[in-house]
Amino acid sequence: MTHFAPRFRIVQALLYGFVGLWSAFVLMPVAWMIFAAFKTRREIFTDPLGLPGQWTFDSFRRAWGVGLGQFMFNSVVVTTSAVLIILLVSGLAAYVIARSRSVWMKLLYLLIVAGFAVPNNAVIVPLYQMVTAADFGNSHFGIVWVYAAYGIPFTTILFFAFFLDFPRELEEAARLDGCRPWAVFFRVVMPLSGPAIASAAIFQAVFIWNEFLLALLLLTQPDKKTLPVGILQLQGEFTSDWPAVMAGLSIATLPIILLFLILQRSFVRSLAGLGK
Amino acid sequence: MSHLKINRVEKNYGAFHAVKGVSLEVEEGEFVVMVGPSGCGKSTLLRCIAGLEPITSGTITVGDHDITRAEPWDRGVAMVFQNYALYPHMTVRDNMGFALKVAGRPKAEIRAAVDKAAQTLRITEHLDKKPKALSGGQKQRVAIGRAITRAPEVFLFDEPLSNLDAALRSQMRVELGRLHNQLGATMIYVTHDQTEAMTMASRIVVLNGGVIEQVGTPLELYNKPESLFVAGFLGSPRMNFFDGRVLESRGRELSVEIPGMPGPVVVPLDDDVPVPQPGAQVRMGVRPEAVTLGGALELSVALVESLGRETLLYLEGGGLRTVDSESAEGFVAVQLPSQHQLRVGEPVKVGWDPASLYLFDDSGRRLATPDPGVPGRVWAGGGWNRPQGRARRGPTRLWRARRPGAGAG
Ligand SMILES: Nc1ncnc2c1ncn2[C@@H]1O[C@H](COP(=O)(O)OP(=O)(O)OP(=O)(O)O)[C@@H](O)[C@H]1O
Ligand SMILES: [Mg+2]
Repeated sequence: MTHFAPRFRIVQALLYGFVGLWSAFVLMPVAWMIFAAFKTRREIFTDPLGLPGQWTFDSFRRAWGVGLGQFMFNSVVVTTSAVLIILLVSGLAAYVIARSRSVWMKLLYLLIVAGFAVPNNAVIVPLYQMVTAADFGNSHFGIVWVYAAYGIPFTTILFFAFFLDFPRELEEAARLDGCRPWAVFFRVVMPLSGPAIASAAIFQAVFIWNEFLLALLLLTQPDKKTLPVGILQLQGEFTSDWPAVMAGLSIATLPIILLFLILQRSFVRSLAGLGK
Repeated sequence: MSHLKINRVEKNYGAFHAVKGVSLEVEEGEFVVMVGPSGCGKSTLLRCIAGLEPITSGTITVGDHDITRAEPWDRGVAMVFQNYALYPHMTVRDNMGFALKVAGRPKAEIRAAVDKAAQTLRITEHLDKKPKALSGGQKQRVAIGRAITRAPEVFLFDEPLSNLDAALRSQMRVELGRLHNQLGATMIYVTHDQTEAMTMASRIVVLNGGVIEQVGTPLELYNKPESLFVAGFLGSPRMNFFDGRVLESRGRELSVEIPGMPGPVVVPLDDDVPVPQPGAQVRMGVRPEAVTLGGALELSVALVESLGRETLLYLEGGGLRTVDSESAEGFVAVQLPSQHQLRVGEPVKVGWDPASLYLFDDSGRRLATPDPGVPGRVWAGGGWNRPQGRARRGPTRLWRARRPGAGAG
């Protein structure tokens, strides 16, 4: 604990107060979601803001019964494959662009930045047409590539910035040690890019895990649906079963929290600019 | 036959010429030290040899192989970087064995090679640590060990000791020398440190502005610099330079007028240089250790640095000013090999043996040096013909031998 002079203790208290308020503000809906999941169907309307009268897992059971397990499995498959593709493609692309002296590569980078600027929803109709025309509708394979295409520009930009600052001498040492460019990348650069990889993985995983619109359009068969769309279906069947919906959402949140806990050290380091 | 052959190598960065036609041949097992002012292209040349920078023109061969266009991993060259460049995610053992692992060698062989190198460098007990947990000196040893395990044809060092403190540096200097003897490997070593250059090199290459000024053994360069630049570069404190004008020549002796000097100075010329015309501008040089107390020149003390073993005096004298020398004020630097109690402002008389003088023409080329090897310049009083040219004593004066160039780096 740092020891502050009295004047700074006031500032410190103010800062803590602000952070506390902000955290409460952000966590309130999450807390409400979890409490609501434990309430009965009636209780949620009679006492929407209070604590649940009885802590029962009934709504979780009901939610799971709709096939949440299958949705979760689909989400895991889609998210994992898309994130892996994004990391691999963006990593290689950013590395080549960051190390190239060619003007064309700089141009390519500009194009990628421009790709990042395209609003996702603006391209949704042509995208839908392309995917269905290619007969990739209702397939995980199809949506994985779409997600990857959405995620690659941002991740490439992130990796590019990271690689620009990567110590060149390590790569030079590796080349003198006998590494060809592939080996330099996979044996030295990648293992030392943990912070960049962690941040990219978390950003993209959260986005894909929660992505709703594309999944709604492209995955219509019940056994192909991902969690956000699956939970919607749960809402349709049990029109008034809000606790089950909240239970489903709570379950859907867990894997992301888990992922964050695993990667958080690298993630925080990289956000704080200490990733090197 | 020479082992490493650099032939008219040029390196341009866009319009900037970093290396301008350098040719150099290095024998097998030689320890070549490259020195030169900052930005003169030492690192660039080293990186060109390693293949980290493509060269603009010229050729580089190692043994019989032309490696001019070869990739770094095909050159048989290992490089030790100034800031170590150890892989932070690997243990010391993995760092040192990395090259062999990449080459797909069997585990047992890698183990043996790493163990042997670790023993040579005395880092066996650190093999399982990560580089982060090592001190600077230990890291540098690991970096050297990483080069050794590969058994390369040529070792390249880019200022490997400059991040270490003075004590560790002199210790590592000795160890590197031992290592060079033990491995008998060809080494090229870049440094800013004069002591390193003088003590470790079999030959020194002086680079300046992308060209080689002179190549030679440390004592050749010290005693017979071809140019003003080399004369001023080696030796610490720097040589005292005085601008002057040729009055007349008598045979191969030149009489030079120097402002502030009581009379003309007589300098014996080297045998292989043309005699300059009277009136020509020249620059005379005298090493601080060649100036002795008790001469005809009367100066006063401006600054005293007592180093215990030796005393450095900076003398000031009316119109006599040094140019481009150790002190910006134009003081005359004197290095006395003993302790002296002198106060600032005190008058002292100094002088020097004419045979210890250097002389350069107005384009910086050598006219006179105190080289013991030149015929006709052997002094009866002894000193010039001593082994290694160590003693720099004139015919009449008592003079204590001193290792040339052994100043602070
Ligand atoms: N990648 C580069 N692009 C453009 N110019 C460069 C590049 N690398 C080096 N230079 C220039 O080439 C010249 C020689 O650089 P180099 O690093 O070889 O100097 P050096 O002799 O090693 O200096 P120091 O003793 O300071 O390490 C310098 O003027 C430098 O500015
Ligand atoms: Mg350098």
